[in-house]
Amino acid sequence: MPRSLEKIMELIKMETEYAIEVENLVKKYGDFTAVKGISFKVKKGEIFAFLGPNGAGKTTTVHVLTTLLRPNEGRAVVAGHDVVKEPVEVRRKIGIVFQDPSTDRELTAYENMYIHGRIYGYSGDELKAKIEKMLRFVELWEFKDRPVKFFSGGMQRRLEIARSLLHEPEILFLDEPTIGLDPQTRAHIWEYIKAMREEHSMTIFLTTHYMDEAEQLADRIAIMDHGKIIAEGTADELKKLIGNDVIYVRMDEPKEGIKCLNAEFIRGCRIMPDGRVRLDVQNAAEAMPKLFELAQKNGLKILEVTYHRPTLNDVFLHLTGREIRDEGRERKVARMIMRARMRR
Amino acid sequence: MMVFSTMIYREMKRFMHSKARVIGSLVNPIIWLVLFGKGWSGAFNFPGASMIFGGVDYMTYLVPGIVAMTVFNMSFIQGITIIWDKQFGFIKEILVAPASREEAILGRITGGAITAMIQGVIILALSFFITSSLKLSGVIPTLGLSFIVGLAVAGMGVAIAMRMGSMEGFQMIMTMIMLPMTFLSGAFYPVKTMPNWMQWLAKVNPLTYAVDGSRYYLSGIAPTFSLTTDWIVLSGLAVIFMGIAVIEFRKATID
Repeated sequence: MPRSLEKIMELIKMETEYAIEVENLVKKYGDFTAVKGISFKVKKGEIFAFLGPNGAGKTTTVHVLTTLLRPNEGRAVVAGHDVVKEPVEVRRKIGIVFQDPSTDRELTAYENMYIHGRIYGYSGDELKAKIEKMLRFVELWEFKDRPVKFFSGGMQRRLEIARSLLHEPEILFLDEPTIGLDPQTRAHIWEYIKAMREEHSMTIFLTTHYMDEAEQLADRIAIMDHGKIIAEGTADELKKLIGNDVIYVRMDEPKEGIKCLNAEFIRGCRIMPDGRVRLDVQNAAEAMPKLFELAQKNGLKILEVTYHRPTLNDVFLHLTGREIRDEGRERKVARMIMRARMRR
Repeated sequence: MMVFSTMIYREMKRFMHSKARVIGSLVNPIIWLVLFGKGWSGAFNFPGASMIFGGVDYMTYLVPGIVAMTVFNMSFIQGITIIWDKQFGFIKEILVAPASREEAILGRITGGAITAMIQGVIILALSFFITSSLKLSGVIPTLGLSFIVGLAVAGMGVAIAMRMGSMEGFQMIMTMIMLPMTFLSGAFYPVKTMPNWMQWLAKVNPLTYAVDGSRYYLSGIAPTFSLTTDWIVLSGLAVIFMGIAVIEFRKATID
């Protein structure tokens, strides 16, 4: 009896410890499987990031977790409720900033907030006070009566963040929150996201294809590629997956002649599309002389050597053989242009 | 009811923010009214001409048709602008909210019907300056009829839009539906003098009943069908199209 009670207590504790629990989640679009059986847990109060290139299945996962899509297999519990069995309960407890802009461009910032608040059941002075508080938080109060179509991309994003916070969600989903914004504005948005967590002690689920964003904001990161989570951990833990340092070597060889180098101090080796050789080593300063020795022994002429501490991009490269930015950049630009066109 | 009223609020706000577009959309019916109307008024100015048009001059005959056409076109466009909501994420906003989707879409349709009715009223008000033989007492019942037409047609627009999903087919649907329905409604010429096959089409055209009813209220011409028929047909269509719109919207996850 006490044993089973203990077990129950443990279960209750687990229930309260996690904001999101996902088990073997599968989502298919016809023949295409966008999410291929992923499992992960997000602790209460943490910022958890999905990092991966476009088409990795990040947005699809967010849409399943926010009850917009039904999973084909698996289970997802968000804020203590199953997304398939109790979608309305889930909806009550979450907020979301979509990847694509979703404000009413014809309406003012205030009207956008007002409509959102009413849909979530707020009204009167309570709603007014909430709108003012949130618009002040994102520093848009002075622009509250301006139609959103006159807002810059960063201002629109801030408005969407304010709107998503209006009903005080337990879990906030941010799908590529700084996509298409300039570096300064991105840094600004990051400040809000950090402040949000501090002030509202909420759980934040973030998707991004920017490594620096994941690194800046997230407590834990899941790297996603082709519908699967290929690694998960803190930024430091992920970086430890490869050696400590990364060395890039350019050699005086035709592209076809370049081969990987082998030695006990080299932990990993890969040939880059631009012809450079990328080496994972424990310590670049110590490895460099050994590298020159090795090159001389093999009759190779080194033209250029650079090294740096590993980034999440190196981790992604190490795991997949591709860079996060490889795919999609052009596609994304094209999509942004399309979007801009459609608005006219 | 909160979500329903909020959606109406949203439509009204959007309407008020787009004054330029509203004025622009009124140009078309004004052209029909003034250039088409005045032009034919001159031609139909021979003795006995009013016999063709139920005993009134052409302008008085035309106005109710143009008002009904305006409401029809505007509510159809209002309905179909839901494609924008779909593309620009507002629908997603609703879908992730703990709100009744049925209420949301019915509120959207009702808001669209109200704005269309307002545009009909503006055209009607202008008409009183052009012709003096319109009946002021007919304004209120015409408004009621316009609102019902608005519900039916905005519902139809939403249903089509939810199916269509993109803006590409928009222009095509507009010309394919709106123009023939306008010509087959008896707005410009009597249904009775149309060739048989056209009369048959006119009878299955909801706009015909709106024109028929409005014409009785505003110009005092005896209805082709009967007022009861007009109201029942339009109310029935409103219920049916709004029902289809709700079903289509329910299906509309972003899968």
